[in-house]
Amino acid sequence: MNLTTMNRSQVLSACLLSGALSASALAYGQGSQHKGYIQASWQSASEYASWYERGASVNRFGAGDNRLNLSRAVLDSRFDLSSSWSAHSVVQYVPDPESKVGFTELYAQYKPVSKGAYQPQLRVGGFYPKMSLENPDIGWSSPYNYNYSALNTWLGEELRIFGLEASLKRSGKRLSKPSEHNWQWFAGVFKGNDPTGAALSWRGFSSHDRQSVFNESLKLRPTAGFMTPQLSGQAWQIEPFTEIDGRIGYYLGAHWSYQNRHSLRAYWYDNNGDPAIVNYDTGQYAWDTKFWSLAYKFKITRQTHLIAQVMSGNTAMGRSRGVDNDFDSQFVLLTHRWQKFRLSGRIEQFKVKDLDHWAFDPNASDGGAITTTFKWRITDSWRLGAEFQYLETKVANRIDGNFPTRQIEQLWRVSGEYRF
Amino acid sequence: MQRQQQVKIPTKQNRKRRALSALALGGVFSVVGATSMAAKAVTINVTDESGQPVNGAVVWFEGVQLTKQSAVTQLDYKMGQRDRSFTPHILVVPKGAQVSFPNYDSILHHVYSFSAAQPFEFKLYRDNPQALTFANTGVVELGCNIHDWMLGYILVVDSTHFAITDDKGVAEVTLAKPLAQDVTINVWHEGFANLDQPESMKMVKLKTNQTLTYQLNQSLFKPKEDFSDEFDDYE
Repeated sequence: MNLTTMNRSQVLSACLLSGALSASALAYGQGSQHKGYIQASWQSASEYASWYERGASVNRFGAGDNRLNLSRAVLDSRFDLSSSWSAHSVVQYVPDPESKVGFTELYAQYKPVSKGAYQPQLRVGGFYPKMSLENPDIGWSSPYNYNYSALNTWLGEELRIFGLEASLKRSGKRLSKPSEHNWQWFAGVFKGNDPTGAALSWRGFSSHDRQSVFNESLKLRPTAGFMTPQLSGQAWQIEPFTEIDGRIGYYLGAHWSYQNRHSLRAYWYDNNGDPAIVNYDTGQYAWDTKFWSLAYKFKITRQTHLIAQVMSGNTAMGRSRGVDNDFDSQFVLLTHRWQKFRLSGRIEQFKVKDLDHWAFDPNASDGGAITTTFKWRITDSWRLGAEFQYLETKVANRIDGNFPTRQIEQLWRVSGEYRF
Repeated sequence: MQRQQQVKIPTKQNRKRRALSALALGGVFSVVGATSMAAKAVTINVTDESGQPVNGAVVWFEGVQLTKQSAVTQLDYKMGQRDRSFTPHILVVPKGAQVSFPNYDSILHHVYSFSAAQPFEFKLYRDNPQALTFANTGVVELGCNIHDWMLGYILVVDSTHFAITDDKGVAEVTLAKPLAQDVTINVWHEGFANLDQPESMKMVKLKTNQTLTYQLNQSLFKPKEDFSDEFDDYE
C-alpha cells in the first residue's frame, strides 16, 4: 500500500500551503491570529480495547488507557490576506491510538463587508459544514460536554468537505423593512469523503472527542464478515476522506435565527457515492451515504440554553448494496452558565438498522447515553472540568469475537486545559 | 446603512458600561472645568413622551457664543471592544477629534461603518490598535463583520459642549459663562426613528447653573434583551 507516501506528500503540501498563507499574510501587511489549547485528561477506561485498536469498545480510551494523558492539543489559526479573504487552519494533536498531528480543517474564506442586507460568502478547502450547534468552540470542540454527542462524534470521525461552499446571508436588521429573522443559505460541492458510513456500519455510533485529521486512517475491528469473499476487498481500516469513485458530492443547508435567541439549522448531505466502486489498492469502497440533519438552539435565558439535533440517513456499499443501513440519532442538551461555572447535561439515542440480506455481516446497533459535565473557567487561560457518562451500546457483530453484544459503561473523565 | 430597529439593550452589564462611559465623560468635563474655575454645569433632564427619564440620550449645545474648547477636541477618545461589545456603546466626540479603537478581547474584530459621515473598515488585532479622525458631523454606526450582533455609535457633533444622560435621564453640560444669545440644545437617542435627525430646541439665553427638562417628541424603539454569547460567531 502506498498510503504512507501519499500521507507524507499530502501532509507536506498542506504544510507548504500553510507556510505560503503565513507568508502572503505578511506580504499583504495583514495580520494573523492563533488560538488554541492543550488538554490533559484522565478517563476511566472501558472494559474492552478501543475500537481503533481493533477492540470491541466504542470509547476513545479502551482497556488499559485509564491514565493521565495529553488528550488533545489544538492550534486554530487565521491569516488575513485582504479585507475579504482569510485563510484558516486547525491543527490537532491526539495521542490515540498513537501520537498524531494533522489538519482537521484548512480552507480559505471570502467574507466581504457588505452594505446591504445580503452578504455572499465562500469557503474553499477542507472544512466542516456548519450543521451542528454543539461544536462552536475552538477546533470544532464542544464548550458543553467533553465527549460529543454520538451524531457529532460521527461527523468528527467520518465527515469533512473537500471542496467549495457558497452561502448567502440575509441580515434582517439591514432590510429596508427591518426584521428580526436572519437567514443564511448554503450549497456545497466536494470530492472525497467516499468511505463515510463504514464506521457506523461496522462499529456503530460512539461518543468521544477525537476528530479525524486529513488523510486519517481509522483501524476497525475485523468482523466475521470481513473474512467472507464478498468483503475481501475491504481493508481493516477506513480512510474516510478519500476519493474512490470520481463523483462529486453535494450538500444544501439553511440557517434561520430569530432575535438572536432561536437558531435552527437544516442540512441535506449526499456524497453521491457509487457503491459499486472499490479501490483494491487501499481496500476502500465508495459508500453511498446521505442524511439530513436538523439542529436547534434556544437561549431560554442568557445563562440557560437548550440545544437539540436530529439526524437520519442511509449508507450503502457493494455492487448490489450488500451492506445497506439506515441510521438515526438524536440528542437534547441543556446547559447553564453561572459565573465561572458551566453545568451541562445531555441525553441521546442512536440506531443503525440493517436493511440488507447479507446475514454474514450483521450491522445492526443501537444505544444511548446520558452525559453530565461540570466545567470551571478558573481564568481565561486555565480551565478544569469533570464528566460522567452512562453509555449503553448494543452491537450485533460483537458476537463474532465472543463479546457480549450489549455493553453498559459508566465513564468518568477529568480534564484540565490551558488556552492561549 | 439602514436603520437598526433592534436597539441595544439596557442589560445590567450595559448599564454598567454606560455608567462607565458617563464617568469617562464626567472626567472630560472636570478637565474643562479645571481650565475655567467659574464653570458650572447646566443640568438637562431628558424624558420620554410619558415623562419617564431616558438613559443614553446625547445632549449637545450649539451657538455663536459658544467657543470651541480645543482641549476637548484633543482628548484621547476611545471606542473599545470588550466581550464582543463596543465599549462605550455610544461615544460623543467633537468634529475633528481622533478616536482610537483598542481591542480588549483576545480575538480579532473587523470593524466597519457605512455611515455618510465616516465610512471605514479595519481589522483590529489585540495589540494593533487603529485610530481615525472624524472630520464630519453625523452618526457613525459601527458594526463587526465577524460578530454580526455588535452595534455601537460614534456621534460626531459640531460642539465641545456635550454629555450623555445617565440612568436617571440626567446630563450635565459645563458652561464657562452664561449665554445671552440664541443657543440650540440638540438631543439624539439611538431609539430615534431617523438616526440622522436629532431633536432640538432653541433657548434665548442659558444660565450656567440652569436646570431644564427636555421631553422627546417621538417614541423610542423598544430595546431588546441582548442574548448574544461568545459562540454566536459560529455561523
